[in-house]
Amino acid sequence: METLEIQNFSVRRGNFTLGPLSFSVRKNEIFAILGYTGSGKTILLESICGLFPGDTGAVLYDGVEVSQIPVGQRGLGIVSQDHCLFPHMRVEDNISYGLRCHHVPKQQRERRVDALLELLNITHIRRQYPATLSGGERQRTALARALALEPELLVLDEPFSALDPATRSRLQQELLSIHRKFPCTIVFVTHDFNEAELLADRVGILLDGELLAVTKGSELMKEHYCKKIETFLGR
Amino acid sequence: MNLSGKPKAPWKQGAFSLISIGVALLVICFVGSAVAAIMVAGLPDLWENLNTKEVHFSLMLSLVTAGISSALVLLLALPTAYALTRTRMPFKRLSEILLELTMSLPYILLGLALLIVFSSPFGKWLKSHGFRVVFSPMGIIMAHLLVNLPYAIRLVRDAFEGADSRLEFIAQTLGAGPFQTFATVLLPGCRVELVSTLILVWSRAMGEFGATLMLVGITRMKTETLPGSIYLNITTGNNEAAMSTAVLILGISALAQVLSHFAGRRKKDELR
Repeated sequence: METLEIQNFSVRRGNFTLGPLSFSVRKNEIFAILGYTGSGKTILLESICGLFPGDTGAVLYDGVEVSQIPVGQRGLGIVSQDHCLFPHMRVEDNISYGLRCHHVPKQQRERRVDALLELLNITHIRRQYPATLSGGERQRTALARALALEPELLVLDEPFSALDPATRSRLQQELLSIHRKFPCTIVFVTHDFNEAELLADRVGILLDGELLAVTKGSELMKEHYCKKIETFLGR
Repeated sequence: MNLSGKPKAPWKQGAFSLISIGVALLVICFVGSAVAAIMVAGLPDLWENLNTKEVHFSLMLSLVTAGISSALVLLLALPTAYALTRTRMPFKRLSEILLELTMSLPYILLGLALLIVFSSPFGKWLKSHGFRVVFSPMGIIMAHLLVNLPYAIRLVRDAFEGADSRLEFIAQTLGAGPFQTFATVLLPGCRVELVSTLILVWSRAMGEFGATLMLVGITRMKTETLPGSIYLNITTGNNEAAMSTAVLILGISALAQVLSHFAGRRKKDELR
C-alpha cells in the first residue's frame, strides 16, 4: 500500500460525531492519532480497518475505497487494546493462524513462527494459552500474530496503555526496532503525547471528534496550537 | 471514613443473603421432592422392572431417535443462528418472531400440526417415495425436530451474540474466509455453550411425549419411547414399572449433566 487516505470522513455513533476529517498516511510512515479518552480515536481506527462504514467520505487504500477490498486482502495487521487473541489457541497457534489461512507449508510456517517468537522474546510461552499470560506477553503475542503475514498496514489501538512503565518503554523500543527490520505503514492511537512524540513520524491530534492538527512527531511539543490542544498538552 | 453516614446493621447486610438462601432451599426441596418420589417408588424392583424386552426396546428407540434428532437439530441450528446473527438475511425479524411463537405452543399441538402436514397429499406423496412419518419411528425424529429446533436456535443465537465479533474480523484480516472464521474462531469460542445446547436438546428429546403421541401414537414394541413406556405402564396400572423407567431417564440425564460439567471445566481451565 502506497498511501492511506481519509477523505472528508465522518461517522455518527449515538450522540458522538467523528469528523468530517481528512488526512493521509504515507508508505512506511508511523502515524499517531493522539487524543484523550472519548475523543473518537478507536472509532477512527476501526473505520480505517473498514470494520464499520462511515456516514460520509471515504477511507482509501491506494485510491481504492476500503469496503471494496475483501477483508483478507487489505494487508492489515491489527493489535487491539485488549489484544483480541484467540482464547482457545496456544500462543504459537495464534501467531501461525494467518499463515495457516494462507496455506503456507508447515516447515516454512514453523520457521516463521520461531523467528517471531524469538524476535519478540516470547519463545518460553509458545505452548501457553492467552489467559495465562501477562499483559506484556499478550501484547507481544498480538504483535507477533499481526506481523506474521508481513502486513502493509499495521494498526495499533493504544498498544502500550495497559502496561507498566518499564515494559511499555521496552516494547516501544522493540516496535521501532521491528519497524526498521520490517518496514510497514503503522497507524496507532494513543492518549500519551510522550509516546506519540517518541514513536511517530507524524501525529494527528484528535479531540472531541475533530482532527485539530497534524504535525511532525519530533515537533509535537515545540509547536504552538489552539487553546484546546494547549490545554490537552498541559501547557 | 464513613461516607454514607449511619453504618448499616450487620443483620441487615446479611438479611438478603439469608432470605435468598431460604427461598433457594424451598425451591430445591419442591423440585427435589419429585425426584425423591420417583426414586422411592422406582428403586425397589428396579432391575426386574427394567430388564424386560419392552424397556430394552423403548430405551434403544429413545436413544437412537433422540441421538439422531439432536445431531440434526444442532446441524440445522448452527447455520440458522449464524444467518440470524452474522448476515443480512431477508425477513430476519419475522423469522425470529416465528421461531419464538412456536416455543409458546403446546407440544401436543405441534404434533397435531405435523400430523396434518404429513397426512396431506404432500405427506402421502412423501410416503409413496419411502419417507413414512406418521405412526413410524421417523415421526418421532420429526416431532423432536419441531419441538427442539426453536430452542436450539435461540440458545445458539445467544451464544453467537455473546461472542466477540472483533475476533472474527481479525481472523478475516489474517486471511480466513467466512466458513474458516466460523469453524476455527466462532465455534471453538462457543463450544461450551454448544455442548450444553446439545445436551439440553438431547435431554428434552429423551423426555419428549406430547408431539410424539400425536404424530406416531404409542404402540408397544413399535413406537414406544421411554416416556411412552411410562405412559403405557401408568394407563395399565403398573406404576412401579413406570417409576423404574423414570429412574432410568434420571440416570441418563445425570450422566449428560456430568459430561456437560466436564466440558465447561475444560474451557474454564483454558481461560484461567
